[in-house]
Amino acid sequence: MMTEAAPLRTRALSLTTEGITKSFGPMRALDDVSVQVGAGSFHALLGENGAGKSTLVKCVMGFYQADAGAVLLDGTRMALPSPRAAQAQGIGMVYQHFTLVPCLTAAENLVMARADAPAVLNWRAETRALEAFMDRMPFRVRLGAQVADLSAGEKQKLEILKLLYLDQRFLILDEPTSVMTPGEADEVLTLLRGMAERREITVLMISHKFREVKAFCDSFTVLRRGQVTGGGDAQTASVAEMSRMMIGETTLRERAARQDRVAAQPRLSLQDVSAVDETGRHVVERVSLGIGAGEIVGIAGVSGNGQSALVEVLSGQRPMTGGHMTVDGAPFSPRRADFDRFKVFGLPEEPLRNAVVPRMSVAENLAFRRFDKPPLAGRLGLISPARLRAEGDALIRRYNVKTRSADAPVETLSGGNVQRTVLARELSGDVDVLIVANPCFGLDFASVAEIRAQIMDQRNRGAAVLLISEDLDEILELADRIAVMSEGRLGPATAVEDTDRAEIGRRMGGH
Amino acid sequence: MSADLLIVFYAMIGGAIRVSTPFLFVALGECLTEKSGRINLGLEGNLILGAMVAYAVSYNNGSPWLGVLAAGGAGVVLGAAHGWICKLPKVNDIAVGLAFMSLGTGLAFFFGKPYIQPSAPRLASLPMGGWSQNPQVQQALQVNPLFFVGIVLAVVLWWALRNTRAGLTVRMVGDSAASARAMGININTVRLLATAAGGFLAGVGGAFLSLSYPGSWNEGLSSGQGLMAVALVIFARWNPLRCVLAALLFGAAGALGPSLQAIGVTYGYHFFNAAPYILTLGIMVASARSKSAAQEAPRELSIVK
Amino acid sequence: MSSASPPDASPSDASPPGLAARLRQSLPDARLVEPAIIPLAALAVAAILFSGFLLVLGKSPVTFFSLVWTGGFSSWFSIQNALQRAAPLILTGLAFAIPARIGLTLLGAEGALVLGGFTAAVVALPMQGVGLPPLVILPLMAGAAMAVGAFWMGIAGWLKHARGVNETISSLLLTYIAIAIASFLIEGPFRDPGSANKPSTQPLGPDLRVGEMFGSSVHWGLAAGLVLAVVLWLVMARTSFGFAARMTGGNLRAAQGQGLPVGRLLVACCAIAGACAGLAGFYEVGAIHGQANASLAAGYGFTGILVAFLARQNPLAVVPVAILFGALDAAGGLVQRRMEMPDATITVLQGFIFLILLVSDTCYGRLPFLSYHQSGDRT
Repeated sequence: MMTEAAPLRTRALSLTTEGITKSFGPMRALDDVSVQVGAGSFHALLGENGAGKSTLVKCVMGFYQADAGAVLLDGTRMALPSPRAAQAQGIGMVYQHFTLVPCLTAAENLVMARADAPAVLNWRAETRALEAFMDRMPFRVRLGAQVADLSAGEKQKLEILKLLYLDQRFLILDEPTSVMTPGEADEVLTLLRGMAERREITVLMISHKFREVKAFCDSFTVLRRGQVTGGGDAQTASVAEMSRMMIGETTLRERAARQDRVAAQPRLSLQDVSAVDETGRHVVERVSLGIGAGEIVGIAGVSGNGQSALVEVLSGQRPMTGGHMTVDGAPFSPRRADFDRFKVFGLPEEPLRNAVVPRMSVAENLAFRRFDKPPLAGRLGLISPARLRAEGDALIRRYNVKTRSADAPVETLSGGNVQRTVLARELSGDVDVLIVANPCFGLDFASVAEIRAQIMDQRNRGAAVLLISEDLDEILELADRIAVMSEGRLGPATAVEDTDRAEIGRRMGGH
Repeated sequence: MSADLLIVFYAMIGGAIRVSTPFLFVALGECLTEKSGRINLGLEGNLILGAMVAYAVSYNNGSPWLGVLAAGGAGVVLGAAHGWICKLPKVNDIAVGLAFMSLGTGLAFFFGKPYIQPSAPRLASLPMGGWSQNPQVQQALQVNPLFFVGIVLAVVLWWALRNTRAGLTVRMVGDSAASARAMGININTVRLLATAAGGFLAGVGGAFLSLSYPGSWNEGLSSGQGLMAVALVIFARWNPLRCVLAALLFGAAGALGPSLQAIGVTYGYHFFNAAPYILTLGIMVASARSKSAAQEAPRELSIVK
Repeated sequence: MSSASPPDASPSDASPPGLAARLRQSLPDARLVEPAIIPLAALAVAAILFSGFLLVLGKSPVTFFSLVWTGGFSSWFSIQNALQRAAPLILTGLAFAIPARIGLTLLGAEGALVLGGFTAAVVALPMQGVGLPPLVILPLMAGAAMAVGAFWMGIAGWLKHARGVNETISSLLLTYIAIAIASFLIEGPFRDPGSANKPSTQPLGPDLRVGEMFGSSVHWGLAAGLVLAVVLWLVMARTSFGFAARMTGGNLRAAQGQGLPVGRLLVACCAIAGACAGLAGFYEVGAIHGQANASLAAGYGFTGILVAFLARQNPLAVVPVAILFGALDAAGGLVQRRMEMPDATITVLQGFIFLILLVSDTCYGRLPFLSYHQSGDRT
């Protein structure tokens, strides 16, 4: 609970890390990292995936113990052996995945987060106190609502409110706006910035969105491969400088080279496609879309608005409750026979979860499209293991999949190589329809560039590509037309040249 | 004819209460365990071992209530062992439940051999049928105090899950382990305690079987009640109060056979005995894809993930 | 979405491995030998713990294990006894292992066995009177038993796919229901009037009994089990059907994403399992009892579960494991008489084995003295 107003200058905490080093086995995640976050500042921690940002904040939060170095809070060295200890010192973190309990209400989540929650709860008193607290806050969330019923943006707001409720004065936010519409993001960040300026809190925000950093932050630090490669004043530094510190000397990606195609009749056509979740709520509502040969149609949207469900419908993981799909005019349903006949291939998101069988070998995973047809399958459906491995070896070489052997279980591969395996399997033949979802999430820059090049290549060779991504920059770089998905409904698709970020942002917010 | 019907009616009520009591205890125990995110299929073993331990202790000590306590103790041991093993990574908790079912039953039969013949002191029942002249009705309405204990427990459990920190912690651990971990809660400890407590209740349910109704120890005492309780909990959508109603329903189904036998109807004996299983299966089919079950299931439970 | 995978290593950080590390890297990957070492170690640990159990009770473990050896392995007589009892265990072991490969924990073998046995006993009766030769009747009996068993277990598979009903509980309920149905029919419409004390169906004629193999005292059920084990191993490991089933068992979402007919695969595997269990019922009636009665529910279905686990769901490994348990079963009577222990003793030993085996699952990937190869450069 918020204490009586302490003198403003002493509320916000300053945090300094000195020479933090952390290794996991042979791999050095952080190398002599020293960061200074002044009291009341809104500090951005930049870096690409795998740079060490999460590791650093987890050391500050007490999840990990650094091998060397120290954390100083308001100038005093702090021992932070556990998250509880960090919280007791006033450091709180909002994670990328939610730490709210879905079956409990917002009020129950807030009260249970307190270390001093009583053994027996008097809900009348607690609710009164919570209402009083909410009145003091710049934004509200419905206290009596079950968290499962809140939208992603509301959950994120609740997470931040939880930190303020617990009187945390150093807030660490890990990509907080990735699940919010641009409007919600602006609202929350503006309010937090106001509190920081009033020295009520200090904010350390992990981000990879330069726009937000420039708009809201006053200072920043850049990590690359576990080391500090730069920092400074966020208002005066240019995006190009920040980017150079993040990824080294490479130019910003421009729009990918593409051949001009004339969009003919749509090859893949969705009409009024609908689907529900297990509680009967529509997660996909009457989606209609046409994708022509040789074009990429991108579906943008904040995570959780039905894009994943739509991909599941297309790939057969979720039943379609309404509408129909056609390819080249003929009815299409996500069965193996149709996938083969219409040459439909897919790169689903989270490949370990959706596209591969972790315990099966790389060679077996590479054979998923071919194991039931000749030449792999002989009479009586018998499969020759030698031929399976030979085909696997060929694909491994061709697509540069780094694995000890074709027989190694695919779960032993790194994320980039798992995705390469899926690519090798799906893109090595003739592709007429390609469905791609969040293909580059969590991968390093090299893999990302490779995968995007492959997608572009398929488009240039005449495939109809549906690209669903939560990374707006990715869509703007690759797509010919863009549609926005919001609350299960799909807006009309417009050519990329005819729209801009602001309009897309509005549509993502449902306007 | 109407006298017969009346007898069947009272026999059903009394029978429902009697047969439902072990269901109630096992279901409450499983409900608590599943609220914490773990499924314990081994409660059948707890039930049988509890029945044997209660009978043996009562025989050796002369006190049936001590037997009940001892049965609970045996249940705690099995439950805690289940909880401890399941926290090891990569262990299949459904299979562990089956193993405990096997082990509990084996140990019960192994140590229980000498107790099959002798007669142990039973739990006294409260005569709730004193108002009737009919001796059959009076017989039917003998209710064991454990039934009332069970109902009180159900209410306490329901209240505690909403209004105490411990209860909310259990629900947190069962719904979102990641959130609980972020709060510094030791998930395995909470689940171990919940499983042990669940085991205790199942043991007490077993004590009822041997010390009240049917009131003897032999190797055919239970036939799947422990498993049915798991289905019962799903049917009750993890609400302790609904567990009471569901247990009574199952008890009525199980009392159908003996009640009909009381007025001389013996045809189809097997089907009446199979009625609880058929009911359970029907309920599972009906509630499997139900929307409310999806909303109220603890999200960490392996069978609903 | 949280990034849960370990961070990729930076190439500048790989230091040259020391001698010990290099030696270990030259060994074959530990993952290859784990499936053999760990179950054997689990058996050993269970035996040790059980010995402790016996010692606490004042019994000698040495006596116990030597009696097991005598009763199960030491003479041609005891080996035959063991093989005889192993025959149904192979089939019920397969009945658990096959659905396990597709990700189902199906416990219905006991029920399918009882129904299959009953069907075999009853189907034979009208055919006997008509004068068909045994060579025709016996396969028909077996076929009917397998069909009924397949249907019964198929229900659980279909319920799982169509309604999402948990197959462990549904198959167990179906088992109890099956036993109830069989008991009702055996004691009612199909009862042999001559079987007053123990209700049974009419006994099969002497020429309808399944014979023994090659002059031994082991009936042909063992051969059937062996053949089915090999065939089913072949199907699961080397055919498209088996590949699709393993995909589904390994990652349902990936299998769906490849357009596989998951529902049909689930029901098919359940039906195969039910057919195996039904066939076991046929042999119990045709070779052992000669009629269907309460003796059919002898617990082979449940022991088969343990057999399958110890065999790590591999159809070929089911055979030696089933023989081991057949030997334990064969020795059970001897142990009971000589050491004056209840016949639940073997059940307790099996419970120990099962539990330790499941605990040993945690050792996979974590054994300290073996080498686990990483997969090359992680970028």
